[in-house]
Amino acid sequence: MDEAIEITVTVNGTVHREQVAPRMHVADFLRQHLGMTGTHVGCEQGVCGMCTVLLDGEAVKSCLMLAPQLDGHEVRTVESLAVDGELAPLQQAFKDAGGLQCGFCTPGFLMTATALGESGRTLDRAQIRDEISGVICRCTGYEGIVTAVDRVLNGEES
Amino acid sequence: MKPSAFEYVRPDTVDEAIDFLETYAGEARVLAGGQSLVPMLGMRLMRPAAVIDINRLTEELGQIEARGSETTIGALVRYTEAEGSPVIAERLPLLRTAIRHIGDRQVRNRGTLGGAVAQADPTGEVALVALTLGATIVARGPAGMRELPAAEFFVGSYANALDPQEMITALRFGVVPARCGFFERGRKHNDFALLSLAVAATPEPDGTWHDVRIGIGGMNQTPILARAAAARLEGQAWDDATLAEAAELALEGIDPPADVRASAEYRTHLLPIHLRRLLRGMGEDSYDG
Repeated sequence: MDEAIEITVTVNGTVHREQVAPRMHVADFLRQHLGMTGTHVGCEQGVCGMCTVLLDGEAVKSCLMLAPQLDGHEVRTVESLAVDGELAPLQQAFKDAGGLQCGFCTPGFLMTATALGESGRTLDRAQIRDEISGVICRCTGYEGIVTAVDRVLNGEES
Repeated sequence: MKPSAFEYVRPDTVDEAIDFLETYAGEARVLAGGQSLVPMLGMRLMRPAAVIDINRLTEELGQIEARGSETTIGALVRYTEAEGSPVIAERLPLLRTAIRHIGDRQVRNRGTLGGAVAQADPTGEVALVALTLGATIVARGPAGMRELPAAEFFVGSYANALDPQEMITALRFGVVPARCGFFERGRKHNDFALLSLAVAATPEPDGTWHDVRIGIGGMNQTPILARAAAARLEGQAWDDATLAEAAELALEGIDPPADVRASAEYRTHLLPIHLRRLLRGMGEDSYDG
């Protein structure tokens, strides 16, 4: 019962081979096994979106996946965005637009918006709001967040 | 929010999945998208002996097929895939519209249509559409394949007619009426619906409507068909008086819950108003649903 499962998973370009308990979710795996604490844990029931990461390029809530499910897949976390200490354009836009206050939700928004940016879709502000509605912010009122995403997606505010 | 211990198994074929279901003799749960199952495990509303992860079965369960008048959707088709499928856009626009009301982008990237039906959430959009359009749920178990009409599949709140050793393999839809409408009211987007409505009907050149089907979600332990309201509209022109009568008839048979989201009175208040508006909208020339 509850025997550890061996998985091979690529996280931010690095291949990891790990033994995981079946009942461990992916957010805990990232934080506890790999020490990547950029992925935050909020509600652990798929409501708040803090733990959003990219699974094979798609935004998913990592608290709603079991760690053994990662076997053979590719994950990207917020740690993948900045390169050599230099903020990615999306992160810089959040900083410039006041897209964060306490910052707890920021990794969730950044990863959701990263997937959105890579989808190649053109989106207006209302559509951006709809697409990021799976991440909750209790500080900002969302305006700065939408502005930051809008700037990166559309070059300028639409 | 940590599940109790379970064994994790990952079959490579449906046959193997069914072998596991038989081995665990009803004590295993099937993991598809996990958007409902994983929270329920975390809350320990379920303590299965094993979780059978079917996510590798995309070849057998991940296809959308149009054959003749039938459209078959594999149990493992995810909402995002269905949202972007030209086959579903053309043949099942009601389903496509309803999916936009489900969860958020992250949930739709993982959640599956088979999982939604198995979950039998009284407010579930896919369950409501399946019932309204008279879909067939295809299941397999140790005893073989079984086809269950949606009207017999949802037996209670979060309860379905599957044997514990069966799993859903596909949803099958026949020809559906030409025009459809979907409405949902919740406290906010992504929350459980207070009321959801699905309507399908075919308008004729003479101004009358045929093959009228009306489904109501969130009001009872399962989605229900508003048969009396549909019968009132069948073969009729939908003038205001007819629509008003049908909207009142839709109250027959409802048993709305009272909970933290809304009172039973409020839900009852919403139903005829929004049904009438939805029906009226479907009759307008500019309607694009």
